[in-house]
Amino acid sequence: MASVSAAPSPAPPTKDESAPVLATEVSPADLLYDKCAESPQGTVFFQRELSNMQVANSMAELTRLLQDLCDRHLMKLMTFDNEPCWKLRSKTEAEKMRRLTPDERLLYHHIDQVQSEGIWSKALRARTNVTQQVLTKCLKSLESKDLVKSVMSVKFPNRKMYLLKHLRPSEDIAGGPWQSEGDFDNALISIVSTAVSQHVEQETCIRVPGDWNSYTPVDRTAAIAHKKAQVQSVQDIEDTPTTKSFRPPVDPSASRLVHRNNPKYPTAASISAWLMSKQILRDKEVREDDMEQLLEMMVLDGRLEKISGTNYRTAMTASDVQVFNGFVDAPCGNCPVFDLCSDEGEICARTCVYFGEWLSTESEE
Amino acid sequence: MSYLQRETPILAELCTFLVEDQYGELAARVFSVLARHGRQTLAALVRASYLNGRQIKHGLVVLIQQHLLFHSVTESDVNYYEIDWQQSYCLVRYGKVLKLVEDRYGKKATNVISNLLTLGHTRIVDLKEAYFPAPEVAESRGGETNGTSLGKRNANGERVNGTAIKTNGITNGVASKQDNLTNGDGGHANGVKISGTTNGDGAEEDAQEENTIQSVDELYAIIYHLMQQGWIMKVEDSQFLSPGDMHDQARAAAVDENYGGNNPTGNKDKEVLAADILQRKRRIRDDWLTVPKFPTRKRQNAEPDYGMSNKRAKISHGNDWTSHGDTVLLDAGYTTSQATSADLIIRVNPEKVTVGMRTEQLALLVETRLGYTTSQIYRVMLRLLETNLARCYEEWPDRIKDDPDAPIDSRHLVTARDVAKNIDRSIDLFESLDPHAIVQITRKGHVDKHHRLSNPIDPDSLTLDDKTKIIDKHIQLLSDDPFHFVTWHSRAGYSQWHVEFEEIAKSVIQQEVENTVAARKGALGVKLIRALRKKGKLDERQTCNAMMMSAQDLRGVVNDMTVQGLIQTQEVPRVERREAKHSIHLIWYDRQRAREKLLHDTYKGMVRIMQRISYERGKVKQLLIKAERSDVVGNEEKWLNRGELDALKKWKEVQEKLLLQLFREDDLVATLRDFIGPLISV
Repeated sequence: MASVSAAPSPAPPTKDESAPVLATEVSPADLLYDKCAESPQGTVFFQRELSNMQVANSMAELTRLLQDLCDRHLMKLMTFDNEPCWKLRSKTEAEKMRRLTPDERLLYHHIDQVQSEGIWSKALRARTNVTQQVLTKCLKSLESKDLVKSVMSVKFPNRKMYLLKHLRPSEDIAGGPWQSEGDFDNALISIVSTAVSQHVEQETCIRVPGDWNSYTPVDRTAAIAHKKAQVQSVQDIEDTPTTKSFRPPVDPSASRLVHRNNPKYPTAASISAWLMSKQILRDKEVREDDMEQLLEMMVLDGRLEKISGTNYRTAMTASDVQVFNGFVDAPCGNCPVFDLCSDEGEICARTCVYFGEWLSTESEE
Repeated sequence: MSYLQRETPILAELCTFLVEDQYGELAARVFSVLARHGRQTLAALVRASYLNGRQIKHGLVVLIQQHLLFHSVTESDVNYYEIDWQQSYCLVRYGKVLKLVEDRYGKKATNVISNLLTLGHTRIVDLKEAYFPAPEVAESRGGETNGTSLGKRNANGERVNGTAIKTNGITNGVASKQDNLTNGDGGHANGVKISGTTNGDGAEEDAQEENTIQSVDELYAIIYHLMQQGWIMKVEDSQFLSPGDMHDQARAAAVDENYGGNNPTGNKDKEVLAADILQRKRRIRDDWLTVPKFPTRKRQNAEPDYGMSNKRAKISHGNDWTSHGDTVLLDAGYTTSQATSADLIIRVNPEKVTVGMRTEQLALLVETRLGYTTSQIYRVMLRLLETNLARCYEEWPDRIKDDPDAPIDSRHLVTARDVAKNIDRSIDLFESLDPHAIVQITRKGHVDKHHRLSNPIDPDSLTLDDKTKIIDKHIQLLSDDPFHFVTWHSRAGYSQWHVEFEEIAKSVIQQEVENTVAARKGALGVKLIRALRKKGKLDERQTCNAMMMSAQDLRGVVNDMTVQGLIQTQEVPRVERREAKHSIHLIWYDRQRAREKLLHDTYKGMVRIMQRISYERGKVKQLLIKAERSDVVGNEEKWLNRGELDALKKWKEVQEKLLLQLFREDDLVATLRDFIGPLISV
């Protein structure tokens, strides 16, 4: 029933010192526990492995020992593929468990089962059939004993989800790396997106200095006309007057961003790999999906452009001046009373203060 | 024309203002009656207005001459009049038409077009009379039109020198104002200005000479060329039919021919009939554009080359009418059969104007996104395609789409080599390219670590092949852009491209909506629109997820934009009682609705500008009357005092500013309305 997950349980520091002391009169159950504790944390033991430990002489005895341990909450019975299996609990945890009331234990059991997914208090009540008062009281006491905690779900903002204290809430309820405490972490998003846009810019664009092609223009028509004038000593009227082709003055320090020739357009996968390798984010993992969400958002922001299905590049504009359109550049486009404005009456073109301001003329009072 | 012809009160108001501005009060009064009452007979018009029959007839004549009205004789011999909204709105574009034609075909063609716009439609022979009056022809009419054309010439000349004549109420005035403004406004038009000034300061007399049409031959050549390019079309009776009448006629003809006069029953037959009607309408319309056989043309067969050979001159704004006029024209024989073509009635083709406007706007858009050089290349590509594009989109498409894999008509393709041949030489082709790409093509030197070329290259020294390759790089930039300005077709001519105008038009509409939102609500609003566009209908939480923001930050924007009509809301109840608490609240964005809303608002903004102009004019009315007196014009310094001169200058500035804005709003209208038909709503 319970899935086997490798959720880490707090390491019981007590076991090492207690084991040698009690070694002389240790009960078989404790022996079994100690043997199991030697394997790494969170290991799941199947019956075969337990009998291989050669603590119990028969299957019946093993069953009895396990039952004993389970009763003392030192072990947790689970099933995997319809086969029973067991997992150790630390002694401190077991101690806490022993102090629970039956109701609390029942609730704890159910909360434990859902692991990091968390369970909604209402669903918990439906499963356990306890009254609301008992539920509230028990959950409160479980929380005060540091066994469970509650988090707000991102999907359903008004639901309180319960899960074991030591577990990290899954992304379904806590949101991805971009969210903290149920809300988007704006600071984080802006930092990461700036980093990402710089990275993408580096990949897909190239900054060219103003004097990248500092040739000296040869004006052939001028040269020809000049030569002709020298020979004929009079300028031919048919010749085009000596004009150089227009070339705006170049400032060598000014640089310009242009699209790279044959760029490798980055994808969500490559960018997330880059981000993880940079280790900008501590203890958060950005998977491809998360990165795609961020990139899509940046496309909406107009910072990136999507090229073909999965590739992104920097969105550039040739000029920095934002040009809107004829309508919104006129006063009417941004007028707060545009819908009230009519041909005649208090608000109309004649009395308009915005026109007056724009044209610096007087409007009718 | 159902969609475009849809009558909105605000459009009616705008058009009435335009008519009044151009053709005076009487025409405007008649026009406004028709705008308010819709399709009317003469008798009904008289009843609906305070004007008498004679006055109304005068007004109608003006309107009909300018193609602002449809009129149709139905079976009962009663003439119905109906407004041509499209053409009426086009009044605001007259200045722009001239600018477009001048950029493409030079000053002389502009002169012809401007006369055509002033006259509405005219017989070719009358136009000829206007330019070259025969001595015995009645002075009155010829003299009058000649006068206009002379006036225009003056306006042109003065524009070069940097002043402008302000004559209100006639096309001339608007044209010169507009041109003046666009020249001053477009920073990109550097090349234009330079060529203009060099012409001007060389010898003013020369410029004047160059810009006047010297002979009848030349005039005919210009008209013929413009007809082939589609800017001028012939006038036919069917053009005066309102869309409804035209449909009825096409339907009647189809029913008569295919079903023996009985209306078909059955769905399948009806569909066949509908398709047939559309086809007939298309045929009638396309027929207007066929160029009649001009007797002058020996070079008729080589016609496509004709346009091309002159292209570079056109793009670099050279006015080489004489040179090519000489080559084409001076073959004899047209005089003998002149009579056949002389009676042809011609007018400006408004659909071609929108094609031209689209070219310019797309080029401008590319300039803001990819830079000047790339935009020039795109402009050349689009102009090369223009000749074969009669209109921006098919107004009467067949219900069943053509096979999408059908080969594209080769006339709608353009190659990098074509561009290389036609591009202005003074453009620095290397601009906004990666230096590595250039080294790769020229194979000279290398790129150092600061991205400088070790061997600088003069772009003028390129061979045609290298030029083609460089241009291809620019075209690739165009095709990589999210707008997908061009689409690759084949390898012919180094690389062959076509332009998916429909898709681009949709993106451009979206772009304009986003621009509007950006100006009103900043980046956040744009982000919201884009998110909704991409994801469809969203509730609050989904919106937050898509934009990665908290709900509080969003609500204000969502509210404001809903009020402005750019975002739609929907409430879906989850339980039987429709409680707000138990409902799903969705928001979504519909491009078509936003487009219509923005279009409507833009019309309204234009009306306000027209009203403000008339208010501002009213304030300086006395002064203007004085300034327009014939003895004062030209001698303002002498007859007006300091204060009056200042006021006059101020008024001119104000008028320019308002008119410029009006024309820019017209650009927006073109984008929103004219480049593509209605989009399917969500």
